[in-house]
Formats: sequence, structure tokens, C-alpha cells
Amino acid sequence: MNIEDIIKEENKVYSKPELMQPVHMHYCPGCSHGVVHKLIAEVIAEMGLTEKAVGVSPVGCAVFAYNYIDVDWIEAAHGRAPAIATAASRLWPDNVLFTYQGDGDMSAIGTAESIHAANRGENIVMVFVNNAIYGMTGGQMAPTTLLGQKTATTPYGRRVDLNGYPLEITELMAKLDGTCYVTRQSVHKPANVRKAKAALKKAFENAINKRGTSVVEFVSTCNSGWKMSPEKANIWMEENMFPKYPLGDLKNV
Amino acid sequence: MTEEVRLMKGNEAIAHAAIRYGCDGYFGYPITPQSEVLETLEEEMPWETTGMTVLQAESELAAINMVYGGAATGKAVMTSSSSPGISLMCEGISYIAGASLPALILNVMRGGPGLGTIQPSQADYFQCCKGGGHGDYRMIVLAPGSVQEMVDFVGLGFDLAFKYTNPVMILADGIVGQMMEKVVLPEQRPRRTEEEIRLQCPWACNGRKGLRKHNVVTSLELEPSVMEEVNNRLQARYREIEENEIRYEEIGTDDADYLIVAFGTIARISDKARELAAEQGIKVGILRPITLWPFPYEAIEKAAKGKKGILVVELNAGQMIEDVRLAVHDSLPVEHFGRLGGIIPSPDEVVRALKEKIVNK
Repeated sequence: MNIEDIIKEENKVYSKPELMQPVHMHYCPGCSHGVVHKLIAEVIAEMGLTEKAVGVSPVGCAVFAYNYIDVDWIEAAHGRAPAIATAASRLWPDNVLFTYQGDGDMSAIGTAESIHAANRGENIVMVFVNNAIYGMTGGQMAPTTLLGQKTATTPYGRRVDLNGYPLEITELMAKLDGTCYVTRQSVHKPANVRKAKAALKKAFENAINKRGTSVVEFVSTCNSGWKMSPEKANIWMEENMFPKYPLGDLKNV
Repeated sequence: MTEEVRLMKGNEAIAHAAIRYGCDGYFGYPITPQSEVLETLEEEMPWETTGMTVLQAESELAAINMVYGGAATGKAVMTSSSSPGISLMCEGISYIAGASLPALILNVMRGGPGLGTIQPSQADYFQCCKGGGHGDYRMIVLAPGSVQEMVDFVGLGFDLAFKYTNPVMILADGIVGQMMEKVVLPEQRPRRTEEEIRLQCPWACNGRKGLRKHNVVTSLELEPSVMEEVNNRLQARYREIEENEIRYEEIGTDDADYLIVAFGTIARISDKARELAAEQGIKVGILRPITLWPFPYEAIEKAAKGKKGILVVELNAGQMIEDVRLAVHDSLPVEHFGRLGGIIPSPDEVVRALKEKIVNK
């Protein structure tokens, strides 16, 4: 069989999502951001939201998300994405606003903005990528860093007496009356990727139907920050992150 | 709503002016002495009439970032606060300036530093005219001297913000925010339609309607040569604003021997002092900068020609006086008179200061 006989439209099982820009990504090999980006791009296109979706990108590794997904993007100051999305959503109620936030963004510097946007029940999607470390600034402790986890600012491991406890921000979000859907996903295996995509779809549907705030957390790897190979990072995540941050829906009303 | 004459506080007038201008959104956090802006808007419920969005934010940080977000979509949005709240907003103002977004910010100044006092002040001149936030940015700063100007500067402020895609601040002292005066409210202007906004603001992030090329609003650029170019473009715009938008008022400066330079309510107190001084045979003229940035350097230099001295009267320890001195290049004595802590000087005090510091010196 010749290769030309195989490369035919009817045989196509996968292609680059139409909303992914044809550019090189700056993410490290093995990082979860690329897959999460791809899922967002797929969901927006498949739901016919290309003309209505507006993203708010964070400070952190995903600061250049606007270079990768072909929708309108507003770049936020660190932690302020939910405030920006609040106004953009209220002023353009036919549009669908989503924030893309890391663990520092959502659970440290932007805790107030995140909690209050969710508590007001803003009709937005909050995408939360939790890799338990500050990747872009060089691997410092995040609020979600696990006890004992070594980072640039916890070189001997996170200690309760020095650094307090890992913050379960997603559990907090689920407590708020303004949230309609709070879920925790991962993208480290094909089955998880499929589930995560379904979760994102539900979140965007909630925003369109004005049902309140949806929070989709992605428990993610940062193999550079964790100083592991991508494969080892996935195993470490399963063994250490998932017990603290178990996958599944925390709230679905 | 047609044009209407009303008696109201400066802060209330701002709220009415915003609705009548066709403002799309107000986002604010209560702080004395300007909470009446948000209170009046909530009472007026403009979302039922013009469709204007009004939201009490969880902090000044959130409020200014809501303004950033709204402005990034091309809407006419504003916030208001007072000095400590403006300090918190400075981060967001820098981002708004860096991303070249139109926005209107009202600062009803109270005394500082720190928590300071809720009494009136003009001590945020440095913060608002020289920076406040980080980076090489400028904000158009309008200083109202009356409740009427509070109203007028909402329209002027939005017009300038959109003309130059740059933040504009109305820098009011606590007096003009709190005092009641007769005011003419303009007739209701319709809010722009979404189509009009898309035409006026092709850069705005309001969805890729018609699958147009995607828009990105950001102040980030890591390539040094491009970032320098971004800064150069901002600086060119600032020069254009300096060229076109300087505003000031002169009262009796032509045949005066002395000059008082003052802004906001203090210019009105100084004007009364001018009358009192005239009764004592001292001829004083008033120059009131209306735009504090761009500052009327040339107008002051011109007005100072042939004068024997300048008194700069401010509700601070001496801030605008630095710009007045720059304007006149040490060609004549320039002295400062200011009260602090929320004390408002009487016209008599101003005359005394003029005599002590300038006339009899």
C-alpha cells in the first residue's frame, strides 16, 4: 500500500484544531498546558463559539496563551483575570468569557478576585491549571505545593510551620453559591483527556446558558519545575497530587 | 432625559453625568469622600433605562481591573475612588495606559499619607500627574473647580480617553465632591450600539465577529526592540496630547502685579482672595490649570511676564509648585502656601500669605 492511498480525507482520525495557531509553543516538553490549550480550542470551535469566545490570559507560563488559541484575548495583570472577565462578560452578555489561571493566579495573588467572581455567579468559565509550583519564575512554592515538596523557595520541602498547608481553592469554590459546576480533571492519559474535554464543554454550556460560574481545575505536571522527566512527572502526579487533589466533579448542579 | 437644572453634590453629579453621557459601565468600591457616586448610580438603576452596568467590586484592585476588562472590549467604562483607593488602582492604571485603553477614573482626593484623613486634600498631584503606577506612562488629568465642571469633565474625559485611547483622570479635591451647587445636566445621549463600538474600536476584544482576525489587548512585549517601539508610540501620543489638550483659565492676569496659581476648589478661594487683595490695592491675577497633565507651562510663563511674584496655593505641602517653577525658570519669586490635614484656607489667609511671602518680602 502506498502512503498516498492512506492519506485521504476519509481516513483522517485527527488533525490540528482549527483554532490552534500555526506557531511553535514555548511550553516545555511534557507540560500540561499544551493539551489544555488544545481542548479549549477544540471545544470553542465545536460549540460554534469562535465569534463569541473571549479569553483572559494570566501572568505565568500561560501568559502567551493569546498566541496559541485564535480567539480574542485580554491579557491580565497577575491574579486579576476574573475581574476582567466579570466586566467583559456583563458588558457583552452574548459573549462567552473564560479565564485561564495558574495556581499562583487563582489561589495566591488573585484569591479575592477569583472567589468574588465565583461568588457573584459570573457567567464565565474559570480554567485553573494547578501544577503545585510557579513554573515561569523558576519553580518557587505555590499555595498548592504539597507538604514535603521541594521547590526553589522550599529547598528542603514544604513545611507546615513555615509555609502553612496546601490550599484547596477548588473545594472553596465548590462551597460558593455562585458556582454551578466545579470539577477537577487531568490530561495525562487519553481517557483523562476525553473526560477533561467533556468537562470543559459542560462549563462553556453553563456560561452560554447563564447558569453561573464553572471552575475546571486541571491537576497538571511541571516536569521542569519538578525536575523530572515527563514520564516520571506523570507518575509523581498520580502518586502525590491525586491523593491531595482527587479527580472528579466537586459540584454539578 | 432632556437638559435639566438641579442642585446636587459633586459626587452625585458625576453619577448623573455618567448616565447621561451614555457610559456603559461603572465599577467601584466605597471609600469616603466619594461613595455617593456608587450610591447614586445604584439608586438611579441606569441598567433599567440606558442599559448601563453598575457593579460594586470587592476591592479597588478588582474595580480598576473591571475597568480594564470593560475598556478592552471597547465599552465606555469608569470608576471612582479616593486617594488610598487610587493607590491600589495604580497597578491597573499602568496596565490600562500600557495597553492603550480608554477609561475614566475619578479621584476625589482626601488627605494622606496612609489612611490619613477623610477631609479634603490635593496631595495626590504627584501621584496622578507624574506616575503613580510603574513605567513611562501619562494620564490626562482634569481638575474641576465646580460641580458643573464635574459634570462637564465626564463627557470631556470620555471624549479624550477615546480620542487618544488613554486613561483620563478627573482629579477633584474632596470639597468639590461633597459641596452642593446648581448644575446643568446635559440631555441624555444614547449609548453606542455594539456595531458602533466595533467600528470605533477595531482593536477591541469583543469576539471575532465575522471571523475577523483575532484581537489581543496586552501591555506585554518581551522583544526589546518592539517594546521600545511600543514606548515610542506612547510617547508620541503624549506629545500630541501636550500639543492639543492643554486647558487653563485666567482671571485678571493682564493688569496684575502678582499671580496666584491654584487648581480645583482652591482656585475659587484664591479668586475671592484676589477680590479682597484688590480692596487693599494689591493687584493679583489667577491662573487656574484645568489640565494638570498636560500642564500649561507656556501659559504660566506668559502670564508671569512682568509680574513681581507668584504664589502657588495648594491643599498640600507643595507639589504643583514644582511645575510652576519649571514654567518660569527662576525669573521671579515663586512661593507656596498650603494647608494640610484637611484644613481649607480662607480667602483672608490666602491674602495674608500673599503679603507675607511675596508682596512684603
